[in-house]
Amino acid sequence: MAAGSSVVLTGANGSGKTTLLRIVSTLLRPSSGTGAICGLPLDGAADRIRGRVGYISSRGTLYDDLTASENLRFAARLTGASTPDGRIEDLLASAGLSRAQNQRVRTFSTGMRRRLSLTALLLRPLELVLMDEPYAGLDTEGMAMVDHMVREFLNAGTTVIIASHQDGEATRQATDAYRIEGGQLMPVGAGI
Amino acid sequence: MDRRSPLVAWLGIAALTLMLIGSIVGLFIVQADAEMGDVQRLMYVHVPAAWTAFLAFFLVFIGSVLYLVQRDQRFDRFAAACAEVGIVFIALTLATGMIWGKPTWGVWWTWDARLTSTALLLAVFVGYLAIRGFTDDPDSRARWSAVVGILGFIQVPIVYLSVVWWRTLHQPPSSPRSVSSEILWTWMLNFVAFLLMFAYLVAQRSRLARVEAELEALEAYDV
Amino acid sequence: MSMTGRVAAIVWKDLLIEVRTKASFHSMLFFAALVLFVFSFAIGPDVPLLKRIAAGLLWIAIIFTGILSLSRTYQAEEAAGGLEGLRMAPGDPRAIYLGKLFGNIALLLAMEMILFPASAVLFQLEIARHALPLAGIAILGTVGFSVVGTFYAALTLNLRAREILLPLLLIPALIPPLLGAVNSTQLILDGNPLGEVVVWVRLMVAYDVTFFVVCTWIFPIAVEE
Repeated sequence: MAAGSSVVLTGANGSGKTTLLRIVSTLLRPSSGTGAICGLPLDGAADRIRGRVGYISSRGTLYDDLTASENLRFAARLTGASTPDGRIEDLLASAGLSRAQNQRVRTFSTGMRRRLSLTALLLRPLELVLMDEPYAGLDTEGMAMVDHMVREFLNAGTTVIIASHQDGEATRQATDAYRIEGGQLMPVGAGI
Repeated sequence: MDRRSPLVAWLGIAALTLMLIGSIVGLFIVQADAEMGDVQRLMYVHVPAAWTAFLAFFLVFIGSVLYLVQRDQRFDRFAAACAEVGIVFIALTLATGMIWGKPTWGVWWTWDARLTSTALLLAVFVGYLAIRGFTDDPDSRARWSAVVGILGFIQVPIVYLSVVWWRTLHQPPSSPRSVSSEILWTWMLNFVAFLLMFAYLVAQRSRLARVEAELEALEAYDV
Repeated sequence: MSMTGRVAAIVWKDLLIEVRTKASFHSMLFFAALVLFVFSFAIGPDVPLLKRIAAGLLWIAIIFTGILSLSRTYQAEEAAGGLEGLRMAPGDPRAIYLGKLFGNIALLLAMEMILFPASAVLFQLEIARHALPLAGIAILGTVGFSVVGTFYAALTLNLRAREILLPLLLIPALIPPLLGAVNSTQLILDGNPLGEVVVWVRLMVAYDVTFFVVCTWIFPIAVEE
């Protein structure tokens, strides 16, 4: 896949979209076969692959009892992203979460959580971002926010793979489209 | 398809035969112990059963390691079969130990080192089988139980040592030097008998597990 | 992005969450005290008897409370999508184990700092003059508990019946540090010559080192999918 391109992945429930994304992200170990992500072999360089890859599921990995900025700060420290003064605040501002930055995530709506999870991916430069059902549970405004984030990633030269049932601007404008059916990955015509 | 291996059948026959011989020798042919009388004959079951149980646990460990290295389900099935059969022998060891203890010490249970360690070993076996029972996905099940099997095996010597330091009421561990060759040979005879029976049961259980796995795989696609 | 950095981040996060949910530390502490109370009630007001078994009661309370604490620290992870977020961190996943381990040790030690004096009061023990050796034993025992407990808690995180599986797996494994801790504590309280304690200390050290190495080494497989 070319850098800065995007791919949308479709398929029926249970067809294996999540499985594929989780394998690419190194979260799931394939029972057979091997591959390379960002030029690094899955079999052996998984630790380093995660240095270049971001993954977001519709569930998110936020800690309810921490505030928005604490969650971001933790994500930064966990991934070794540098956070010079004000960076966290700036990121939260551009995500429209300034007012909520010191509120515990427990009080957040789905849209706000998704925004925060996506913002965490902006903490450091990534080569590849994997999104599993990013539109799930969002209203039009939320979906527009996801599209905006995808555009930002693409502009930064990051490749994005989106697995999604729902259509949005990002999936419609994807560079490539694939469908998983019967355990096989098949290309679809550009866009849906 | 599945062909019942004639080797396994012969194994079963050999095991039964040898156990029969061992029982006759242990019950009738060998002389009763001068001090403890006929109760001592229980040791002809207790000691070989204990050896077999520990061997079973060691095999669970080996199977677990091999699975994690090779990721071949056959090793997982082998380890699981050894655990299931091993638990039978552990229970046998405990039971005969307790039955022997009643007339000897007057009580069903004393907190002596070997009996207690055996009970703890049973607990580890149970934990291994429990984690298998609560996991549906075959890959996760194999992986997690392999980890438990390895950790459990490493625990055993440490647990044993600590319990020994804690209590030493049990007879000193029997070594070939302190028993007559007659007794030793009977132990060895029964040990071999138990080993054959163990091998037979593990072979059968593994085969059953393989069939179960095939069935699971078929059901998974039956959506 | 070093291992130390990630471990420190995880410890910081866990302690921060702990501080946030203030109620839980206090509840844990109260639970431990309740365990001591219940055992004392069950055994009866025979003070000399209670003094003889005080070390055992104390460490049982610590273990039961410790198991609850383990479940709780992983509950927060579960609510945050399982260990997914932690596992997506670059680098060696063992950082997760070490981070959780140090957090658990810190939490348990904090609880013991209150529990030891509490049992001294309940069972009329004189811990003040043995404070240093007792602290050493507390650390050794807590490390032993946490090393294996953190590991099994991570292993059983995704299992259906983990509330029963965790104690089922953990308790047999804890017999050596339990025996070590209880006997050392009792010996120290009885003012025994330190010679006898050394045997138990050696056992605990051997256990702690062995399982720290083994659990750290094998951890990636425990959380792999």
